[in-house]
Amino acid sequence: MIQISVDEQACNGCGLCVKDCPMNVFEMGSGVSIPRRPENCMGCLSCHEICPAQALEHQGVVPSRRMYISSRVCSMLNRVI
Amino acid sequence: MTKSFIEESQQNFQHDLMFRVEDVPLKCNPPAAELEQTLHGLMQMNGYIIRSLEEIAGRGANAVTFRAGKKFGHEVAKYFQKKDNVEEALRELSYILYGQYSFEPWKPADKDHYIVEENGSTFIYLVFHDCIVRQTLRRIGQEQSGPLCQTLCGYVVGAIEEITGRRAKLEIVHTGPNACLKKVILK
Ligand code: SF4
Ligand code: SF4
Repeated sequence: MIQISVDEQACNGCGLCVKDCPMNVFEMGSGVSIPRRPENCMGCLSCHEICPAQALEHQGVVPSRRMYISSRVCSMLNRVI
Repeated sequence: MTKSFIEESQQNFQHDLMFRVEDVPLKCNPPAAELEQTLHGLMQMNGYIIRSLEEIAGRGANAVTFRAGKKFGHEVAKYFQKKDNVEEALRELSYILYGQYSFEPWKPADKDHYIVEENGSTFIYLVFHDCIVRQTLRRIGQEQSGPLCQTLCGYVVGAIEEITGRRAKLEIVHTGPNACLKKVILK
């Protein structure tokens, strides 16, 4: 089963993950997001993409192939960074 | 002395390999790792074709791409086994999509069954993990759910119709960067 954790120090309480998750996994509580229904998570990682604080972690998600990543562009970026 | 482009080309494209008619290629050449740039070129070209189609044809673009996908699905699935059983039909579909798309059945945690019969129809949710359409759209920074996604929808509908002999529909429930949820409905 997928396990989700929210870094409470990082979460800014914007609620974007609550609105965006298609499975209603998150709820707001005490100003931070709480993953109430992780058993419904289907691993789309939309919440990761939308979270401005990068506060979310999912364990057990099937990683899909990432063929869109260009190793040439990434190695150039790495040199710049 | 630096070579002219023509000289360079002549050198690059010179080969003494002997081709014989009876040679049947048994493996993909060059190896996949060397195909990255080809793949990226293909993904970008595909992405721009779809973007232009959408700009010119508007919402009609979805109908065009869905139909193209559906024809493809019917054509490919012709050579696969016919199955009445939905689960077996999905197994057959996974063989058809192998290497391009991977999926698994999904259900909300509070439901007992994956395959649901309702008002004479059957439906099941599928989570699509690997998807070349998603890769393509992300490669050119385009939104999901548009006409290119409809090619996959058509493909799945065509293939599943061919395998089961039933009319099918596919609804996109959610699109994400790592996986997408779709609902297959069989009439
Ligand atoms: S990965 Fe998708 S389904 Fe899971 S919690 Fe995030 S948005 Fe919701
Ligand atoms: S999107 Fe990120 S920062 Fe916003 S509430 Fe969710 S976890 Fe917190």
